[in-house]
Amino acid sequence: MSSPSIIYLVTRTHGRRTHLLPHESLKAISRSRSLPEIVDHLLRSDYAVNISRIPSEELDSVRLEKIFSEMLVERLFTVTKDARGGVKEFLEAYSARIEVENLKRILRAKHAQEEIEEDDLIPLRREHTLVNFQALTKAENVEEAVSLLRETVYASITNKLDSYRRLGSSIVLESYLDNVYFNRLWEGMERLPGVTGVRRLVGEEVDLRNILLILTLKRREIPSRLAEEMAIPIFYRLSRNVVKSLFQKELIDALEALSGTVYRPVAQELLKSREPTSSIETVASKHLYNDASSALNDMFLELGYVIAYMLLCEREARSLTTVTTALDLGVPEASLQERLLF
Amino acid sequence: MSASGRAAVSRGVLLRLREQLEFTKKGQELLKMKRDHLASETNKLLSKVAARERLDSRLMKAYECLKAAYLTLGYSGLESQASTVEKMDVRVRPKSIMGVIVPEVVIEKEAETSSLSSPSAYQAASELTGLMRELIELAEAESRIESIAYELMMTNRKVNALERVLIPGLMELIKYVEGRLEEESLEEFFRAKRVKQVIRGSE
Repeated sequence: MSSPSIIYLVTRTHGRRTHLLPHESLKAISRSRSLPEIVDHLLRSDYAVNISRIPSEELDSVRLEKIFSEMLVERLFTVTKDARGGVKEFLEAYSARIEVENLKRILRAKHAQEEIEEDDLIPLRREHTLVNFQALTKAENVEEAVSLLRETVYASITNKLDSYRRLGSSIVLESYLDNVYFNRLWEGMERLPGVTGVRRLVGEEVDLRNILLILTLKRREIPSRLAEEMAIPIFYRLSRNVVKSLFQKELIDALEALSGTVYRPVAQELLKSREPTSSIETVASKHLYNDASSALNDMFLELGYVIAYMLLCEREARSLTTVTTALDLGVPEASLQERLLF
Repeated sequence: MSASGRAAVSRGVLLRLREQLEFTKKGQELLKMKRDHLASETNKLLSKVAARERLDSRLMKAYECLKAAYLTLGYSGLESQASTVEKMDVRVRPKSIMGVIVPEVVIEKEAETSSLSSPSAYQAASELTGLMRELIELAEAESRIESIAYELMMTNRKVNALERVLIPGLMELIKYVEGRLEEESLEEFFRAKRVKQVIRGSE
């Protein structure tokens, strides 16, 4: 039996779920022929308030992408606000994925000594983060940026500076941020009661993230030992040995080995694809979001329902971004349908 | 061209004209060699330019990969990924081919894409990086062809001018001078004979 605060949170989330764009609306939006047509659809949804603040002639796919990100952040932190105690901490840790994405963007820019402004980040209000993004964007280099993270949960990233310098690639730091994020999430989850559903969704995301990392590093000449160090040391339905063997095999062999695991649909989809590495992000995300979608029915009164909802908020934001970008780039409908996450 | 009445007729003039003809013929040979060399250089470059069609289709493929990356990451996501790419370093210096100054593009540093953490962004960057070298080579070949073609046209005109105007003119002049000199020597011979006859008659 869940605690009253969890029941309250799940009940509120049931209500919030109705605010997500229905599947039919997303389909209709994906078939739109112009941005004004998409805006018309969105003006009948939660996005109306943010969209109506911008003059219609200034609305383009870049502005819309920002609005979708703002809505995602708002949705994630509204759920977090409704939670209490350990669950609240856990959901805050879960919502830190936005913070992690912003940190990655800053470190990428610092690595290439490119200028970055707060405007290039996903808008995150000060109350939702302990990281001083303003100071980070002004850092001279990666070392200075990393030193500014000393007082945060990412403090241990300084230990990765040697590997970063040796490899000369910011992937080391990015994968370490993922490590910190998922470890924190996993530890927070262990402290909560009755989290089977949450474990399923978070565990699956970790597994898929590791598969993504393996396939990303396959094409680079990075020693497999170093690459293995970058993997997230959480093994949900992929054992440590499977992950290790995937690192050591050639791309096609690794995908065939993956076919022998529960991630067979992902592997099969990638084997069918002409460019497995470039479609992995879409295939893995689709798999995760489909599972989140079915979790809404399986975990009706569990905390897993909240996580599934948060994942579907992310899917909505990403899907809308894909549709508006496709329209801007003149991508044919058939190609767009392949890339959609719903 | 009529050469009569233009040149003073003397053995010295004939020698100078012959030297001039010799020199002009050598110049013509050299210009022909230059023309042949430039033509063969153009032929070599044309094979590179012929790769343009193949490049066009590869560009389309790279552009599709780029679109796929945009769809996966959105504008801000891909822009952030792209910021990790260390840009290509290229230097253009002049090079002389048979006196024709053409550009030579030296790629000093390839674009560094190893920090791209997104597979779709990496795929697009790999396609584009591979193409950049070929695009630069194509641009270099096209601008070389442009300079060489102009020089080839000028050299051809010079060869034609030598072959059809200057050399035939010189040859005609030499022939005229030789004729005049022969006439003069015949006249001299006749005069000497007549003088002898006159001297013998008076005896």
